[in-house]
This record gives sequence, C-alpha cells and structure tokens, in this order.
Amino acid sequence: MIPMNRRTFLKGVGGACVAAPFLGSVHEQWAKAAGVPAAAPKRLVIFFTHNGCLTNRWFPTKTSGTLAAADLTGSYLNVLGPLANKLLIPRGFRSLNGYGQGQTIDPHDQAMGSKLTCAQISSASNRYATAESLDHTIAKQINPNGGAPLVLGVGAASTSIKEVLSFSGPTTAFPANTNPQTVYTQLTGVLGTGGGGDPVTEADWRVARGQSVIDLVRADLTDYQRLNMSTADQGRIQNWLDLLRDTEVGVNNPTMAAACTTGAAEMYGATAAAVTAASPTGKITDGNVLGPRGTAESDANLATSFTLGTDMMQNLMALNMICDQNRMLMLVFPGYITFNWDGINHTHEHHGLSHRTGDFTVGGACGVDGVLDMIAQIDTWYTGKYARLVNLFNSIGEGDGTLLDNTATMWLPELSDGGAHNLNNLPIVIAGSAGGYLKQGEIVNVDSGTPQAGNSEGSCQNGGNIGNTGSSGGNLPINKLYVTLMNAVGCTENGMPGGPKVTKFGVFDGMSSATAGISNPGEVASLVAAPT
Amino acid sequence: MYAYRTGIIIAATLVAGCTAKVENHDNGDTGSGSGAAPASGGSGGSSGSTGGSVNTGGSVSTGGSLNTGGSLNTGGSSGSTGGSLNTGGTGAVPNVDCTQMVKPTSQIPRLTNTQYDRVIRDLLGLTALSTGSVPSNLLATDQAGGLTELGWSAYNSVGEQIAAQVIADPTLKANFLKCTPVAGDATCLHNTVIEFGRRAFRRPLTTEEIARFDAVIAAGATITETGTPDEIAETLLYMFLVSPSFLQRSEIAGVADGAGNFTLTPHETASRLSFMMWGSAPDALLNQAADAGQLATPEQVLAQAQRMLQDPKARDMVNSFHQYYLLMGAGSRWNTAKKDPTIFPTFNTALVSEMTEETLRFFDKITFSGGTFRDFILSPIAFVTSATAPFYGLNPASFSTTLTETNLDATRPGFLTRLGFLNNFSNYSRTSPIFRGAFITKQILGIHIDAPPPGAEQTMLPTGPELDTVRKQVDAMTMGADCSGCHQGYINPPGFVMEAFNSIGVWQTVEASTNAPIDTTADVIIDNDLPVHITTPAELMAQIAQSPGAMRQYAAKWVGFAYERESDPMDACTADLLAAKMTNTGYTVMSLIADLTQSQSFRVRAVEGLQ
Repeated sequence: MIPMNRRTFLKGVGGACVAAPFLGSVHEQWAKAAGVPAAAPKRLVIFFTHNGCLTNRWFPTKTSGTLAAADLTGSYLNVLGPLANKLLIPRGFRSLNGYGQGQTIDPHDQAMGSKLTCAQISSASNRYATAESLDHTIAKQINPNGGAPLVLGVGAASTSIKEVLSFSGPTTAFPANTNPQTVYTQLTGVLGTGGGGDPVTEADWRVARGQSVIDLVRADLTDYQRLNMSTADQGRIQNWLDLLRDTEVGVNNPTMAAACTTGAAEMYGATAAAVTAASPTGKITDGNVLGPRGTAESDANLATSFTLGTDMMQNLMALNMICDQNRMLMLVFPGYITFNWDGINHTHEHHGLSHRTGDFTVGGACGVDGVLDMIAQIDTWYTGKYARLVNLFNSIGEGDGTLLDNTATMWLPELSDGGAHNLNNLPIVIAGSAGGYLKQGEIVNVDSGTPQAGNSEGSCQNGGNIGNTGSSGGNLPINKLYVTLMNAVGCTENGMPGGPKVTKFGVFDGMSSATAGISNPGEVASLVAAPT
Repeated sequence: MYAYRTGIIIAATLVAGCTAKVENHDNGDTGSGSGAAPASGGSGGSSGSTGGSVNTGGSVSTGGSLNTGGSLNTGGSSGSTGGSLNTGGTGAVPNVDCTQMVKPTSQIPRLTNTQYDRVIRDLLGLTALSTGSVPSNLLATDQAGGLTELGWSAYNSVGEQIAAQVIADPTLKANFLKCTPVAGDATCLHNTVIEFGRRAFRRPLTTEEIARFDAVIAAGATITETGTPDEIAETLLYMFLVSPSFLQRSEIAGVADGAGNFTLTPHETASRLSFMMWGSAPDALLNQAADAGQLATPEQVLAQAQRMLQDPKARDMVNSFHQYYLLMGAGSRWNTAKKDPTIFPTFNTALVSEMTEETLRFFDKITFSGGTFRDFILSPIAFVTSATAPFYGLNPASFSTTLTETNLDATRPGFLTRLGFLNNFSNYSRTSPIFRGAFITKQILGIHIDAPPPGAEQTMLPTGPELDTVRKQVDAMTMGADCSGCHQGYINPPGFVMEAFNSIGVWQTVEASTNAPIDTTADVIIDNDLPVHITTPAELMAQIAQSPGAMRQYAAKWVGFAYERESDPMDACTADLLAAKMTNTGYTVMSLIADLTQSQSFRVRAVEGLQ
C-alpha cells in the first residue's frame, strides 16, 4: 500500500490527481486544459510595513543602473548585499488616495484601504476598501483551486482598517492570521512523510473518518444548495463545497509533493515544539494609536509574536510554497506597536515615532529625544526580517535555481516618510525574478527624471522643528507595478490560460481617487527582463 | 493619522460642509474605524443610521433631523398593526410603518470567533483548550467572506481538540451525553444525536440529518481507532462541531409574509434572540418556548427578551455595547491618558484603566437598575477608589482599593463629568476643549462633523499675554474662515463648558498656569442648529439629557449593534421609533433593548438580490 498524506483520500496510483468533476475557478480550468502544472509555479510574496522609514537611509545613493553589493553600502539595504544580483529596486512609484486626493477620511485608513485595491475606501465607520485587493485577484488566477491568498501577520489579530491590507471583495476585509499554530496545523495535513515517520495508508481509520466527515458536511451543504438564497449566499455554499472537493483530491502538484515532507518542515524550523513556542496562547497587547497599554504578560506575548512569531510565519510561508499550497502570500506587520525586543527598548509606539512627535500629532517640534535613531532602529529591524525572508527562500533549491528565483518577494511600505505621510517614490524592493520575468540586479527609475530619496533627516535633531521630511518626484501610479507583477506570476487579462497580458488593475490611477478609470494602462517595460 | 496639534483638532468647513444634521453617520474623531465586533458578534463597528425620511400621515416626520417642533401625539392609535413598535412606555407612540424597511441579510452568517467560544462554553462547558487558550485562538481571523482552506482546517483541528477534551472530562462529557453509550447498542448515541443536535444546530434535526449521523454511528468501528463507544461519541461530537448547520446561524425558512419579506421559524427567532441578548446559543427555556411555538407573537418574544436581560450573559452584551457607543476599544482614546508629572504629580497612569472601568460600571449600574438614558447624563452615581477619590474632591480614607459606589454632588452629573472621559479626552499638559467638545457633539449629540481638510493640522496654537486660558487659545486658533464653521458653532462650545474640569478631571475655577478665571459659559448647539446659552456643566448635561438628537443617536447605535451591521438607511425607521419612545420619561434602557426585538427588522428577514 502506497503511503499517503493524511488528507489525500482519493489519490490515485502513481500520484496522478483524480480528475475533479466541478472546476469552479479559473485556475481549475487552466489546470484541466494544461494538464499537470509545471514543477515550479511562480509566486508573489508581499512583506508589508507601516509608517514609512527614513527614506534617505533606505535608498542607495545610486539612483539607476546595475546594482552590485557595493552600491548598497551606506543604506539599510546593505544587509542584502550578498543578494544584490537578485534584487530589483523600482524607484518612482506612487500609491494612491492620499488624504485630500479625493477623500478626506484619514491618511492611514486611506493608505491601507487603497494600497492593494487602487480604489476608494468606504465612508461607513469601518472604512474598508470598496474593491477586491490585488492578492485576491492574483490568487483566483494562479492559486491551486483558486484558493484564497495566505495573509499572515504578527501581534494581536485585528479587523481594523488600520491593519487590514487584504480585501476579498468590496468592503469585505480579509484580516491577517496571526497565530502560527493555526497555519502549521493546516500544513500538517499536507506534509508527506517522505519515507520516514508513520505512514498513513488508505486503510487507516483516519482516512475513513476524514471521508466520512466530508460526506456528512457535503450532504449538509447540498441541502443548503437547494434553497433559493441570494447569489452571494449561494456563492458561499459553493465555495465551501469546493473546499471539500479540494480536500478529497489532495495534493495539487505531485511533482512537488516529493519536497513537501515533515523532514522539510523540520529543516526549515517548523517543528511542533518550535511552533508552540512561537504561538502565545494568552492575550497579546494590541496596537494602539495613542500608546502602549498592555499588561506584563500581554507585552511579553507581543514580543514573542514579533520575534519567534515573525520567523515562524516566514518558515511556514516557505513551507506553503514548497508544498504548493499557496502562490500568493503576504506578511503584514501591525503599525501601532512599541518595540521592546531584539535590543530595542522604546517607550513610544512606532506610529508616534514616525511622526517625530511621539504620538499622533503632526508637525511642530520633534517630541522625543533621539527620535530619528529610534526610527532607524525599527527600520533596521524590519530590513533584517525582510533579508531573513529573502535568504530563507534563496536557501531552498527548486528546479535549477532556488525558491526565491521563482518568486517576486516584494517589500511594500504603507508610506514613504511617516512624518510627511507622502506616497510618492515609495521605497520598494523586489527580490527574485518570478521565474525570469523581472530584471535582476538593477535599480530602475520608472518615472521621468530622478525621484528624490527624500528629506527624512533634514532637521529634527533633539527638539528642532520637524520640517518637511518628504520628497519630490516619483509619481508613476502603483497600478502599473501591480500589472507588471501580475504578468510576472502568470496572470492574464481575461484570466484564461494563454490569454493576453494584464494591462489594467484597480479602479483609478489618477491623482484624485474621485475620478475612476485607468488612464495609464500597461506594465512597466523597464522592469521586465529581456526575453532570452 | 491626520491628527491634532497637541490635542487641538483643526476642522474645516468650506470643503466639508459642517452642518448640524442629526444623521449619526459619524466616523469618529480619531478615525478609530476599529472594526471591533459588537458582542452579538457581527460586523465591524457601525455607527447610527443615516437620516432617512419616514413620513407618514400625521405622525413624526423625521427627515434629516428629529423634528420635535410638533407634537408626537399622532392620529393613529397605539394599537397599530405589525411594523410599529407597540410595547410599554407611556404616552403616544408614532404610528410609523416600518414594514418595508427590512435590510436584506445573509441567510447563513458564520459564527464569529467570539460567538464560537461562547457557544462552546454554553453547550459543553468548555472554556479553554488544554493549551490554555480559548478555542478561537486557533481559528482563522474573523472575516465575512467565503470560508478559506485555512479557516476550514482550523475548524477541523479545533473541533477535534474540543471533542477529545470533552470526552476525557466527566463533567464536560455529561454536557454532551445524557446517557451512557454501550458497545453494540446505538440507542444512547442515537438519542444524543437528537438531543445534542437540537442544541448544537439551534433547531430540531430533520429525519435525513438524523439518519446521516446514525450512519456515522453505524460505521463507528471503521472510523475510530478501536471502535469503543467513547471513541465513537468523540467522533460524533467532532462532526457536529464542523457541520455547516452548527457553524452558520441559518435562516432558511422560505415562507413569504406577504409584504415582500420572509418569516422566521420559531427556532430562528430563538436564535436571533439569544445571539442578540447573549451572543450565544439559546438556553433550555428559550429552546422549550421555540419547540412549543411560543415565540409567535411580539409579546411572547418580548417576554423572553425581558427574561434574558436578567441573565448575567446580557450584562456582558450591554457592557460591549456601551464600549461601542463610547468608542472604546483598540485604537481609541480611552485608556491612553498620559499626563505631565511636573504639572500633575498626583496623576498615575495605573489609574487610567480604573477610571475607564468606572465609566463602564456606571453604565452597567444605570442600565440594570432600571435607569433611563437621562440617567446616563444626569446620575450622581460614581465608582470611586481611594486613589481616585482626591480627583473628585472626596476623602480617600472613605474608600478602598476597589471601585465603590457613591454619589457625587450636583456639579458632577452623569458620565461626562467622570474621570474616565475627562482624563482621556485631554492632553498631556492641559485640557483639550476640542477633544471633549468633538466627542460630545459627534458621539453623544449625534451631530455630523466632517473631517478637516489636508494641512489643517499644521495650524499652530497661538500664545500671548491676552490668551491666558486654554479656551482663549483654542478660540483664537479656530477663528479662521476654514475653521470657524465647525469649531465656533459646534465643537468648541461644549468643550469650553467642560473647562470646569482640568486635564486630570479635577474641578478648576482658574487656569493653573496663569490664574486667569475659567469661563464656562457658551452657546451650545444641542438640537436643530439652535444654540442654547449654557453657564455650567450641570446645565449642559440637563440639556443633553432631554435632547432628541442625543436620544436618537443612542437608539441608532443600539440598532446597528443589535442587528450586527453598519448603519443603513433602512434601519432609520426602527431607530426613529425607539428614539420617540425614549422621549417618554420612564422609558428604561432595558425597555429599549427589549424593544429591539419588536421591530419588523427583527421579526422577519429580507433577501439580497437573487440570481
């Protein structure tokens, strides 16, 4: 009897997937038409941070051209030096719907809601985005079974617009999952034993029970399906039925199944004990725009979540990709957090520091001694975590290269400078070429002229006035970056395999969110590698 | 965060249009948009409904503001047909027809994580997994979209853990099994399917459903490790916990009511009642009433609602509501007060949560001792400790380390003169008339104020020898054309009246830094854009307590919270009716909560667009 994954109840001999009778998603149709998917799917990974950074320390001095390790010295990105040949720094993108550019609800809410949707936010009190976000658009096209993106975070779970980046539909938030235990548990149903451990055979009672559960739940759902409910409700039932079918059919990419083992999980740090250690069971101090307010225990849990938890989430993202469970992944950090770990001992939370005032006030005198150094500490910490993620992916072999090569792993910020709240010339870096699509080892100015690195440190030394910490230039709408990335991971304009390239994403791309329409379609050719 | 220049909100009038409509679709002055789910476990924080116009012959015309110019005595009788609120209260009730004002809802909303924890607690007695966390700690984060693979995986994993723990613990086991299963005899487990299934699905199982679970029992030997009765029982429980009819609060009766909506079955009504009142599944009494068809009339439903309000679980719900009403929670201003120790040496950050807790105790006390909305604004009750006593001018020796109920004097009516509000809506080194004024104007009076225009936050707070009080500084700063419309007329005046209390909530008659006298007179707009001359906080509270706008704001907040949805024009009708009832003195808060079960929106359901 061939050893099986616990949840592959109907896996055929030799590993071929049982043909699924109901192919609901675009990707399904593609898979059916194309046969077994390629061994190395392409993925988009987004690493998201709040409150901007000291942009003049982030950007390398070099503004365009080939990127070598030496070009990164002096900037935060120095730590990525060894991987310079796999980096792409697109200078000059602007994200949309800044405060006063069509809406005057709140700068941070608008920045979050519009970031991956390029749409306005709702005027209802939850202020959620009014359109689906990029990660869901991409996931529907490229994910196995068109499943939802994997949106992870650390800290306390939050459904606030201030922390939500992903929207599965208009005004429907898709908040991050912040418990590594939950993510790991899902994987343990998928990881094969790779020849070691305790094989589960078809005759195992667990397999029989699993099938029994599916049958029972499916029968319940089929009863619901017969009711004359709204389109939305019918969609929810069908969605659940699809999940059951996916559980039955099992591993979607048999070619990759060989790498998806408990051994791999251990190798990349995801043991049961390590996951438990990274997953606090008690309350975690939640983010607060007006300062910290946790107990000693909840603060300790926050530190665990940020330190062990970030690393474990990264490990689990790698494993999800190795097991081809998800090709659209995000790691979204919260924004209103007081850093007290890894050698950082702050008494003000990040957002307040980013304003230089130490709280939510804007402008005037710098309110905290050494505030720029504090911001730099946080910036450096995040750069280190991004570097860890990129290096982790690069350490995993895949095909002729590494996992990193088959991803575009992007660090996307909420803002450029947190004091100026500016959205132009966002500090963005992408690692990996998504299977050769994107240029590597280059800095590219995507907008005309040379967008400025910015004035984050212009003044504000020990009580001085904050002044203008923004930058000028760099206003190419970020929609075009998203279009480029969609093409990089294999999306098409009509969602059909072999279809035309994507040219448009989002509801608007102009300076005002009030004017709908894409005035500047198309990907950014200067970011795309020459065909070989 | 567009934020404030050391606590002074700069609002604009020209772009925003600062009007005094009682529209209640305010977004919160700090942009909290917290998305914190109400306890009944619904959507992200919603505000009151917008002012739809409900205009029936001879009764209350609501339009954008509650027009109290005319009398509320209507031509219609109080014994009106279904659709109008018809319970309790003295005086006349407007004969408004809310029949067509039922907002379409999903028929299959999933339990929120908080509801999941409560249902598990109430059905099985389990409050924590063996790891020490609540069950929902391991579920996917709440989201209203379709179930994800991660979410489904989590339900399975947590369901397995709960089932194992329940069977292993005799006390919990007895909450699941009301008999002892015997090997080779399916009777006990069959009966459990019926009995527990009734409770878990919040309705009796159909014969087909019972047969499906019976088939699981029959297959017990092949789907468990060794086929013992306990193992089969555990598998049965696990299967209930991952069933869609457990995880969804289904409303699937398809019987039209003749008015374009659909009726609810008694069991669906019971479920709505218990999730509204307790955020959890019905109890045995409610289940019995549903089984016996005794939830058919509004009066029967009301009686259950009143009973359920006496249960401690309702206190949690009410507490959650008032946190929502007061904009407490993650990202809010409450619990964050920090004060300059050189100016306020007696202040201690450790007291802040205690002060906020006092406010919640206040609302709990008023509500459950038969109080009214007016009492929230006027009651002298306070909850004081020896540490907070000095701020109230009381003797610490009379108090202890725990919050103790007492009465304050006539200068401190209601929660707006309690330390929680006063401390948290102030600044580090001084008061903030704008924080306090904006909160009173927007959150309590329900007056809509738009956000300031970009760049407003750069306005400097002026200083000068003639600006010898915070009031004068703020007044001077908000004189400009871009500011005055919202600030001079609406935001500042109530804040200026509250200058009687300093940044740490202590009564003051002079500005500490300059000895200049505090001036608490102002012309405050309460309702209908009409300024009322106020000289003290007590006078201000007297006005707020009888303000139709304030009452409507409170009612509208309850409607959004109880019905678990963002403010919707269709709910304006219900809010208007409740607000009108509130103008009757003696209409208690508990009556209002119970009356939320009397609206058309509660008694029937409407369907979103079909195919």
